[in-house]
Amino acid sequence: MIILNTFLLLLATAFAAEEVNTYLIFKNVDRSIDLTSQLVKITSTITLENAGKDAIKNFLVVDEPKANGKVAYRGVKDSAKQDLNLLPVQVEGNDQKKYHKVILRQNLEPGRTATVVLEEILARALEPYPSSIAQKEKQLVRYFGNHYMYSPYTVAKQKTEVVLSLRSVENYTKLKPVTQSDNVITYGPYTDVKPYTEDQLIVHYENNAPFLTVTNLHRLIEVSHWGNIAIEEEIEIKHTGAKLKGPFSRYDYQRDTVNSQHSIKSYVTVLPATAHSIYYRDSNGNISTSAVKHRKDWIELELRPRFPLFGGWQSSYTLGYSVPSYQYLYRTAEGQNVLTMRFIDHVFDDMYVEDVTTSIVLPVGVSDVKLVTPYQVERLRDDVKYKYLDNMGRQVLRLRRKDLVEHHIQDFEITYSWQPQLLLHEPLMLSLALFIVFLAVIVWVRLDFSLGVPEHSKKE
Amino acid sequence: MVDPAKLSRYVSPVNPSVFPHLTIVLLGIGVFFTAWFFVYEVTSTKKTRSLKKELLVALVASIFSGFGVLFLLLSVGIYV
Amino acid sequence: MVQAGSKKASISKINTKAGISSLIIFVVLLLAWIAGFSSRLFAVIRFESIIHEFDPWFNYRATAYMVKHGFYNFLNWFDERAWYPLGRIVGGTVYPGLMLTSGSIHYVLHLLHINVHIRDICVFLAPVFSGLTSISTYLLTKELWSAGAGLFAACFIAIVPGYISRSVAGSYDNEGIAIFALQFTYYLWIKSVKTGSVFWAVAASLSYFYMVSAWGGYVFIINLIPLHVFVLLLMGRYSNRLFTSYTTFYILGLIFSMQIPFVGFQPIRTSEHMAAGGVFALMFAVGVLKYLQSMLSKTEFKSLVVFGGLIAAGVVFLAVVLLTYAGYVAPWSGRFYSLWDTGYAKIHIPIIASVSEHQPTTWFSFFFDLHILVATFPAGLWYTIKNINDERVFVVLYALSAVYFAGVMVRLMLTLTPVVCILSGVAFSGLLELFLREDDNNRVEDSEEDEQSTPSKRLYDKAGKVPKMKHEQTRDTDSIGPNLRSIVTVVILLLLMLFAVHCTWVTSNAYSSPSIVLASYGSDGSRQILDDFREAYFWLSQNTADYARVMSWWDYGYQIAGMANRTTLVDNNTWNNSHIALVGKAMSSNESAAYEIMTALDVDYVLVIFGGVIGYSGDDINKFLWMVRIAEGEHPKDIRESDYFTEHGEFRVDAEGSPTLLNCLMYKLSYYRFGELKLDYRSPAGFDRTRNAVIGNKDFQLTYLEEAYTTEHWLVRVYRVKKPEEFNRPRIPVANRVVKSSKYISKKNTKRKKGVIKNRPQIVKGKRLSSQKLK
Repeated sequence: MIILNTFLLLLATAFAAEEVNTYLIFKNVDRSIDLTSQLVKITSTITLENAGKDAIKNFLVVDEPKANGKVAYRGVKDSAKQDLNLLPVQVEGNDQKKYHKVILRQNLEPGRTATVVLEEILARALEPYPSSIAQKEKQLVRYFGNHYMYSPYTVAKQKTEVVLSLRSVENYTKLKPVTQSDNVITYGPYTDVKPYTEDQLIVHYENNAPFLTVTNLHRLIEVSHWGNIAIEEEIEIKHTGAKLKGPFSRYDYQRDTVNSQHSIKSYVTVLPATAHSIYYRDSNGNISTSAVKHRKDWIELELRPRFPLFGGWQSSYTLGYSVPSYQYLYRTAEGQNVLTMRFIDHVFDDMYVEDVTTSIVLPVGVSDVKLVTPYQVERLRDDVKYKYLDNMGRQVLRLRRKDLVEHHIQDFEITYSWQPQLLLHEPLMLSLALFIVFLAVIVWVRLDFSLGVPEHSKKE
Repeated sequence: MVDPAKLSRYVSPVNPSVFPHLTIVLLGIGVFFTAWFFVYEVTSTKKTRSLKKELLVALVASIFSGFGVLFLLLSVGIYV
Repeated sequence: MVQAGSKKASISKINTKAGISSLIIFVVLLLAWIAGFSSRLFAVIRFESIIHEFDPWFNYRATAYMVKHGFYNFLNWFDERAWYPLGRIVGGTVYPGLMLTSGSIHYVLHLLHINVHIRDICVFLAPVFSGLTSISTYLLTKELWSAGAGLFAACFIAIVPGYISRSVAGSYDNEGIAIFALQFTYYLWIKSVKTGSVFWAVAASLSYFYMVSAWGGYVFIINLIPLHVFVLLLMGRYSNRLFTSYTTFYILGLIFSMQIPFVGFQPIRTSEHMAAGGVFALMFAVGVLKYLQSMLSKTEFKSLVVFGGLIAAGVVFLAVVLLTYAGYVAPWSGRFYSLWDTGYAKIHIPIIASVSEHQPTTWFSFFFDLHILVATFPAGLWYTIKNINDERVFVVLYALSAVYFAGVMVRLMLTLTPVVCILSGVAFSGLLELFLREDDNNRVEDSEEDEQSTPSKRLYDKAGKVPKMKHEQTRDTDSIGPNLRSIVTVVILLLLMLFAVHCTWVTSNAYSSPSIVLASYGSDGSRQILDDFREAYFWLSQNTADYARVMSWWDYGYQIAGMANRTTLVDNNTWNNSHIALVGKAMSSNESAAYEIMTALDVDYVLVIFGGVIGYSGDDINKFLWMVRIAEGEHPKDIRESDYFTEHGEFRVDAEGSPTLLNCLMYKLSYYRFGELKLDYRSPAGFDRTRNAVIGNKDFQLTYLEEAYTTEHWLVRVYRVKKPEEFNRPRIPVANRVVKSSKYISKKNTKRKKGVIKNRPQIVKGKRLSSQKLK
């Protein structure tokens, strides 16, 4: 997949840069900006119209230049709920802007319309304002957006809905027509907006969703051909909401649960259904405040950090479990082994992971390793690891990526060749070591350590 | 990306639920032969010792103990 | 031919007997090792594999440092994160044997790619070494008595509570390996005295080297062995074997012991080691005299020998006393002197007196720690005295001195335990030998007696040819009836089983608490874990700056350094009493005086332990009086212990308490916002469960500190010291504000604007400077 990506990229850049097709019009855009969690989720239902004479194969999507935060995930589905491919491209004349090209499955004929759903998830887009609050105060954040959809095409008609968590909003920019009902602010409809129009939308509201960022995640997968795969995740989390100003009073915290909702007391991690031997610990030892619930298709693990996290506080822990290998390890017809596992697993709902490194430790004696990833990852240099009873090291593949959200929980694939006879070399090595010990005893017994000539013993 | 439905799953050569039983059997035999070896070494004199017997007993003891230790590690959870 | 055949049969019979007995010995020792190992695992199974208590945390931190940075960096380590701002020279103030042992095990295992974490090695080191202690106790007792007694002693020491208390899994402390080194050194010493070979004496000195590196209690060895030699000399049991073994051991042991940086030159400069040197000199004197005696006639030099020996002893003793007087040899240090004069510490060194382990032993702890061995130990001692020889003198001396020291300090029960196990093994072996004796043995004994009486009629054969009549006669008087035998055997077995049950019960209930994790059991048996300590330390490690300095009482210093990884002011090493007194003074003074001390010491956070919510009785308010006493020792004008008591002399925290106590920093930090807390609907707000009282001073504010974190059950409370710009000083209305005007009058008036030199010579151009103007 990486090879395909790079080839296409080269292709795209080698040939001339893209041009904006002026015959493509966004006939109708319905945007829904979900601000209830720590991530900003923008779902846009776009109706494309081909106003020209040629069939349109793709269209462009552009990043807002002054947007707060980063686009962690962007995905496009067509009306048949199928995923469409996205490629980063360069556009002539607009070198500063970042464009992505969406390739349609069926060409858009002249005069026809097609509907696509564009989903974007922005991380770190909500700014806590005020940036530091006392323990009892409410957490208020600000969202800086755009009243109009920022696109390279003309938008004939568009409407935006901003969904908040509570009815109370501090203030929001009012660009008529705008209405507020319950926790939804509706902007629009706006007609005939030119390409690249920006008009800042600011919403200042109360958000008590957990603002938890995983600053660093290290996932270690160890594969054993005796029937077990061990997974261990070292996670560092930080509360990235409004910082705590002033004292932390345990008395107020215990007595008054309503006002300290912005603190994070616990969260739920979802594990695969066959996970067993789950352990949850940190550098000081085992953390006993966790609960496991077995559901039908997965295991729910409710984790409580040692202390509640307030703004600016961080914590770290290690979570590990084992899964049987028959779930994830397959054999092809040619005798190769295929391992399919998730690149990143669920940490908590609406999660945002800044940096993840996944290491996969393959069994001893594998050769001809091939890797396929669902999205672009950086492959670091392979490592060599020695575990119990290893004289030859095991190959470790290391992959790294930044800025991931829940939508990045997808499988990668590793194909390798491995001889089953290699399983035997471990017990044989043990037997050899023990045999050497016995040999040493046999030799020792035959040695004579006395300093002088021994007297004639009574036996003779 | 290959389709997992079309492939056969990889199965371990020994059923994991059998590990504890194998451990006890193999280690038991291994320890018995080890004890025999050492008692033989202690009680024999220069004249009564026979190299062949020693080597044979040591070989059997080390093979059984080696496999027994491996299955001990596996049944405890250290999947080597 | 028949003889040869029967001899071969008897040889093979002896061989199988030897084979079976060696197999039995091996199996019993292996089972003792396994029993000792498993018995120490209660805490690991109930909680987890974690380092317990306080001192082990420093040992663990030092071991982790050594594993990370290498051995030489560890020896040269200067720890600036302890005893701020003084720092601690770790390499020179620690016994490195423990760290070296764990570090080398870690190294060897990692070389074999068995990647065990250093913490797990540290936790399980003591149980593994308990097995080795059993084996060395077996060897020692075998040398002293017999293999059967050795097996008994090995089994006893594997499970006896007196030893388990300091070597449970997770208790990563010096005693875990030191007792093994002690027993092994004694075994090698006994072996060398018995054989007189240089090989065994050198082995003994190497083992002594290991013991010196492991524990400060090596002073016991280096005083007991010379005492043994001295008593042997007094008993007239001088021999060449003794001479060889002691001289080799002393010289090599001396040189080896000085290799440890902490010991340094102490073996030749302190009183505790002078006995060994004195006996060494005495040994030479006695040797010379014996040689002279062998050369000359017996009667002439008998008196010379006696006189010479006494004079030599006197000279040596005087030399030591003079050197001590002159200052070349240091007198007995406080720790060891308090073993002789038990009231010394309470008056002069309150820190030593405040440790609960240094209190005198009660009768209850003798039974609790040793059970039936306490009763059988005198029996074994009597057996040994009755059948005295060179090595049994040693055991007698060991027993007597250990019993004395165990009576002085609870902590030294640990040195009594090995000798009690040895002598109880001897007692049981003697008992069972008597009651389990078969008829054959009776016959052999009688036949030997007969042989001596009628040598002419006997051939030189052995067992089995006794005329029946004599045998039956003797049988009636000497043998023991089979009924009595079986009853006694059953009773002894019952006692041993009760012993095993008691040991396991004691281990499980009394000695297996990690003390870093508390557990309370609800009415339905469910377990609630109170992990407040680790919660607070983890919070400190994650949410404070790396260079932050934490002030707390010295009990928690090692834990803070180990788990929270922050700089501390004072810790369990207690080497600087004045620094601890400063911290105590800060805790005992009111907030503004304490703030001055805290700014002088650059303190960022203050940590207190408060048990009032859950009823935890080891908290800082209960330890508070010791803080006051230690502070009073250094600052008698500022802190007076009597100020903290009521007029009736009680220590109370409720409204009757003394105002000094109710306004001191420790009180305020423990009870901040506690006055508003209602624990349950029956008790009033501010009810302290540990002291069973409603606190006196409830609603107060802190000016100089701010609550940074309190754990879930209020057990650990962390406060942040505010910077000067953050104080919430009480607000004075504008009308009452007085601007202080100083009475300072500037000396800068028109006459003398610039600085002036008095009596400066006035120089006028053209005129000579007259000498009169100069003054």
